[in-house]
Amino acid sequence: MSEIVLDRVSKAFAGRSAVENLSLTIARGEIVALVGRTGAGKSTALSLMMGAFPPDHGHVRVAGLDPHAEFGQLAGRLAVSFQTDRLLPWRRALDNVSLGLQILGVERGERERRARLWLDRVKMTGAERKYPHELSGGMRQRVSFARALAVEPAIVLLDESFGQLDEVTSRELRRDFAELVRGLGTTSVLVTHRLEEALEMADRVVVLGAPARVLAEIRTDATERADPVRLGALRRAVAEILERGDHPAT
Amino acid sequence: MTGEAPSPDAPAPGWALASGRDVLATAVVVVGIVAAMQVMSFFTPAYIMPPPRAILSATVGILGEDLRHVGVTLLRWLAGVVVALVAGSAVGVLMASVRGLAPYLRAALFIDTGVPALSWMLLAILWFKSTEERIFFILIVLLLPFYALNVYDGIRALPREWVEMVDVFRPSRGQVLRLLVLPHVVPYVIMTTKSVVGYAIRMTIFAELVASAIGVGARMANAQSTLQVDVVMAWTFLLVVLNFLVQGVVSLAERRLLGWRAEAVIR
Repeated sequence: MSEIVLDRVSKAFAGRSAVENLSLTIARGEIVALVGRTGAGKSTALSLMMGAFPPDHGHVRVAGLDPHAEFGQLAGRLAVSFQTDRLLPWRRALDNVSLGLQILGVERGERERRARLWLDRVKMTGAERKYPHELSGGMRQRVSFARALAVEPAIVLLDESFGQLDEVTSRELRRDFAELVRGLGTTSVLVTHRLEEALEMADRVVVLGAPARVLAEIRTDATERADPVRLGALRRAVAEILERGDHPAT
Repeated sequence: MTGEAPSPDAPAPGWALASGRDVLATAVVVVGIVAAMQVMSFFTPAYIMPPPRAILSATVGILGEDLRHVGVTLLRWLAGVVVALVAGSAVGVLMASVRGLAPYLRAALFIDTGVPALSWMLLAILWFKSTEERIFFILIVLLLPFYALNVYDGIRALPREWVEMVDVFRPSRGQVLRLLVLPHVVPYVIMTTKSVVGYAIRMTIFAELVASAIGVGARMANAQSTLQVDVVMAWTFLLVVLNFLVQGVVSLAERRLLGWRAEAVIR
C-alpha cells in the first residue's frame, strides 16, 4: 500500500523551477533515498512531503492526506530529522526527546517513560539529564533521532541527517537508524548527497536530476547492501547517471 | 551511552560564585573610598564631608529606626519591576505576533523612552492623587519599553530552524508560545532585568523624593532639608549595598534559569 504519493508535482521559487513534474510512490515500510546533485530539488521534494508549502501543480498525499492542506491531521504520524540536530538548548536530552510527545498531549509520566526508552534505543542511556551543549555532535544527532522516533510515527523524513558527522560516527548512526526503522516498519525517506549512505540504508535509491525529476531508480536487497563489491558497482553506476544527468528512468 | 566524546568545552557550573579576585578588588575600592572620605573630612566642615565614623553611626541609626522605609521602597520597586516585566513581555509578544501592530507599538515605545523621567514624575503628580499610584505609574512608563522592545527583538531572533522543527509535530499556537517562544526569550528578560534593576531603584527613590512622605527617597529629602549630610551619605551607602544585593539576587536567578547555556570563552 502506498504511504507517500507525489503525482506530477511541480514547484518553483521566484520563477526558478525546483521540482518539475515529479511522480514518486513510496510503499508503507519502505526506505527510500533521494539522491542528486546540489540544487536538484531533493530538499524541496522532502519539504512538499512535510507540508511546508503546497505544490504549484500536481498532488502530494502522505498517509492518504494532503500534508499542507490537512497539516494538523498528520500530527504524530510524520516526523522529520534534519541536517542539524535542532535540539532546544534549554531542554535536557530527556525533555528534548519528549517534545513531540508533549505537543501530542501525552501525559508526563508516559512521555518520560517513552523518552527514556528511545534514549536507550539510540544508545544514549545516561545522557537523560545532559543539556545539548554537554553532548558531542554524534550524541546530539542521536538525541534528535530519538525525538523524531519517540512519537512512533508511521513516516520519518531525513534531510541530510548524517551529513554533518564524521565518517565513522555517520556510518555507526546510519547502521543503528536503519536497524531501528526496519524493525518498526517505519516508512523512511532520506535525502542525501552521499551515495554510500543511500545505497547502504535504502531499499530503493531514486536518482534525481535538476529540477527534481526521476533519472533512475535502483532497488537493493539486504544481501547487496552487505556486499561492498556490489555496493561499489552500484555507486559507480549512480555516479555515472548523475554525471550524464539525462538518463531515462529505469 | 555511546563512546562518542562529549564536548570538551563544557562550562564550569553556572552557579559558581564571583571569584575571589572580584571580591578583593571590590574591597580595595571600598577601602580607598573610605580613606579618601576620611582625608577630605580633615579639610572640610562636617556639613560638606562628615567623617566615615559619623556616617557609620548614622547608618546604625537608620538600621535601628528607619528600616521600614527600606521595606516600603523595596516593595514599590518590586511591584514596578514585576508588572513592567510581565506587561512589557506581553507587549513584546503581541508586537511579534500581530505584525500589523508592531510599527505602531514600536513607535509608541520609542516616544515613551524619549520622554524624560522628570516629565513623567511631574505628570504623575498632576494626574494621580495616591502616592502609590504615582510611583507605580512612573516605574511602569519608564521600565515597560525596555522589556517590550527586548522581548520583541528576542522573538525576532528566534532561529527559523527551531520553528520548523517544532512545526513538524503540528503544535497549536499556544504550544509554540509555551514550548518555544517563552523559553527562548527568558535570557532577554533576564538581561533586561539586570540592566534596569539599578535604574529602577534610583527612579523609585527619585519618585519618592518628589512624591512621597515615606520610603528611602522621602527620608533622604528630609535629611537634606535639615542639613544632615551624614544621614544622606548613610542612606547612599545603604542604597549601594541594596543595589549589590538586588544585583546578586538577579544573578542567582540568572544562574538558576540559564544554567543550560554554554559559556563562551574568548581567548
